[in-house]
Amino acid sequence: VIRRLVVLMLLVGGAVLLEPLRAPTEGVIAPRSLFLFGILLLTADTFGAIAHDLGLPRLVGYLVAGLALGPSVAGIVPAGVLEDLGMMKRLAVGLIGLLAGAELRMSDLRQRHRLILLVLAFQTVAVLVVLLVTSLLLREWLPFLQPLSDNRLFFVALLFAAVLTVNSPMVTLALLTETRASGPLAKTTLGVVLVADVIIILLFTGAFSLAQASLGGTTAGAPEILLRLLAEVLGSILAGTVIGGVLTLYLRFVKRELVVFAVVVVFATAAAAPALHFEFLLSLLVAGFLVENVAPVRAEPLVEVLHQAAVPVFVIFFAMAGADLHIQEFAAVGPLVVVIALARMAAVWGSTTYAAHLASAELGVVRYGWTGLVSQAGVALGLATIVADRLPGVGLAMQTLTIGVIAFNESIGPILFRRGLEKAGEITVQ
Amino acid sequence: MGAIMQTTLAALAVIAVGYILAYLVFDRLRDRFGYVGGAEYVVIGFLLGPRITGLLGAEQVQDLTPIVSLALGWLGMLLGTYFRLPTMARIHASHLRIAFSEALATFGSALITLLAVFHYLLGYPWPEATVQAVTLAAVATLSSSAAIDAVTRKAGQLSALYPVLQLTARIDALVGVAAFGLLLSVYHLGQVSLEVRPPTATEWAVINLAVGVASGVLFHLFLGPRGHLQEAEGESRLFVALAGAIVVASGASYYLNLSPIYTNLVLGFILANSGSAHRDVTRLLLRTERPVYLALLIFAGAAWSPSSPELLFVAPLFVVVRLSARFLGGWVAGSLVAPPELKTPGLGRALLAQGGIAVALAVNYTQVRPDLNADLILTATLVSVLLFDIVASREAGAVVARNGTPGQQSNDPAVVEPLPQ
Repeated sequence: VIRRLVVLMLLVGGAVLLEPLRAPTEGVIAPRSLFLFGILLLTADTFGAIAHDLGLPRLVGYLVAGLALGPSVAGIVPAGVLEDLGMMKRLAVGLIGLLAGAELRMSDLRQRHRLILLVLAFQTVAVLVVLLVTSLLLREWLPFLQPLSDNRLFFVALLFAAVLTVNSPMVTLALLTETRASGPLAKTTLGVVLVADVIIILLFTGAFSLAQASLGGTTAGAPEILLRLLAEVLGSILAGTVIGGVLTLYLRFVKRELVVFAVVVVFATAAAAPALHFEFLLSLLVAGFLVENVAPVRAEPLVEVLHQAAVPVFVIFFAMAGADLHIQEFAAVGPLVVVIALARMAAVWGSTTYAAHLASAELGVVRYGWTGLVSQAGVALGLATIVADRLPGVGLAMQTLTIGVIAFNESIGPILFRRGLEKAGEITVQ
Repeated sequence: MGAIMQTTLAALAVIAVGYILAYLVFDRLRDRFGYVGGAEYVVIGFLLGPRITGLLGAEQVQDLTPIVSLALGWLGMLLGTYFRLPTMARIHASHLRIAFSEALATFGSALITLLAVFHYLLGYPWPEATVQAVTLAAVATLSSSAAIDAVTRKAGQLSALYPVLQLTARIDALVGVAAFGLLLSVYHLGQVSLEVRPPTATEWAVINLAVGVASGVLFHLFLGPRGHLQEAEGESRLFVALAGAIVVASGASYYLNLSPIYTNLVLGFILANSGSAHRDVTRLLLRTERPVYLALLIFAGAAWSPSSPELLFVAPLFVVVRLSARFLGGWVAGSLVAPPELKTPGLGRALLAQGGIAVALAVNYTQVRPDLNADLILTATLVSVLLFDIVASREAGAVVARNGTPGQQSNDPAVVEPLPQ
């Protein structure tokens, strides 16, 4: 590892030597971005190995590498470079979505539907209530709640709680791929986070509409927004069905160069999603699910190819996610971040344990089910950005704290989940 | 919104139908002629691109540069790994003579013709004519062993000519990539910082080589001993490390406006000749070569914007030039240089396939010299690659049947490095 770190330092030093020979190139992505993307990949791989040696999930290493090189710490990978590489992140998200959907087996859902629904319901309500109460109790210290009162105070606090209810399909899938865990805890967690993805979007929409209306925004627009987002969810399911159909036809009649075709499908979906107003990730998730569970073809070749591509894709996604974290912004609200994150964690623990007990789940799920539901990542960050963009008054102030809590959960969650899988005896590959 | 939705849906339908049609047409060609290319992927890229559906607009095509640079570097690195010195040392001198004479004669004759075309016929000044002529001559020189491999696979046994053809294809690629790399050093484009003296052409050539060597040495150290590759997911992790190294080397080349293919060729050469991980590296590069090539074809298709004069005049002219140069080079090597037991006047006919490196060179040209007929170079290359890939297998089969000794297993262990299992 030390050898690798020295090599990385030499590479960065080499880049400094080449600096005066810079030749600006027009018409292509900044060459510097390309070089730094390579450095980011190599660093993430190295930090992933270090994390692995320490008994931590590799993705924690990827996140730390991104954070270390990103604008928050060393600044070697500046924000402009991350913007240049946005397409790479989108590709990573799309492939993960497709794989996540294909990993969700109908038989598992049928077998565990009661447990999944109970955990989902209890967890959602508990986190929502606990965070709502916590934020109301802490309102003196929360800048976005300080100037508010009555209805406005309640609805904005509810929106804050709704954003933090979200789980992370990315982290779950990355860990399950890395550890190859496939027992009851792994299956239950995957089912909960993927189904929750749809439910939470609806919940967020409702909370957002109420907060917007209470803040004097367009009251008449609230149901409109709800309808639009409902249409977006239904549109995503429809789009996912069409994409699943195309994948099925391809698997039936062509069945060659699957990785290239999967990449083309992801790019075409990314291009079509904004124009057709459907959600990119959700549609690919549905497509993967349908190909695996409904289509009259064998989906194994596609799933196998996606599994092979998973490791590089996770490295790209989490390294870039780490670089996107602006830790200095929430350094000032550190204590609040910890209090809120711990309150959320307690709600997740209590509700999940109770729900699993109620559903007579396996002991491993009862004891460690909560560990898989602490992580937060891309979806939660996306919702925080929507709030900041559409409600600039309170949204920007809320964003700092929200991102702080998400960063905390993104770092702690994978470690907890890995430990939970270990304790439940579901990790077969070290 | 309705109009946008309709347009997007229509675009998706065009792509789906276009791809299926292209697939059916080229699959038939595959059955009939032993077609080895991936032209349907150029079609799908073209359909996705700004010229037809616009789903991949000019901006998105630019955003794909990291993937494209990875693909260019990947192919360059794979080429570099072929030149493993312990294996090269066992090659018969006569084989090397045939390979180098074929490559140099093909390159020389194509260059002279193309220089005349660009300077006298199209009226470009010498420097601009040279840049375009060298690029196209390099593309013309490139050949791929894909067709020969396909013929051999079909026959089930090696012929005595097979190792010569395989070696010649690799030397062709080496000459083409080196010539293109040297061209970008000699006719270097771009300003340097005010506080340094602009390097001379020789210095740029040395810098280009140094970037490749430094990348190779550093990545050799980065990979370290082979042990860590044996663990679970070792190959995926090697993929990440390789991708990182290639993107770093390519990024450095782009930064200096040099050729990432050449830089990665040097990187691959160093990796192949150092450390114990070379087999894992080569195996992984070989396994992923096809998807990488196809991704490059899609990008080339998306970036392709041919005009009528290019399609009707320059591209057919280039096809004729390449065909003539290939035949001439093959005749020089196969008749004048080859020993009696390997006399093959029609050697060039077996080397018609161009393959991924040709597309990579043209795409690289469009990135580093967008100012000088980038569309023309890409059009000529794509047309040539698509046409020659259709007929290559049949022609290679004919040459091997006529001049080789099919049915006999080659007992020359020195020539062909057995591919890692």
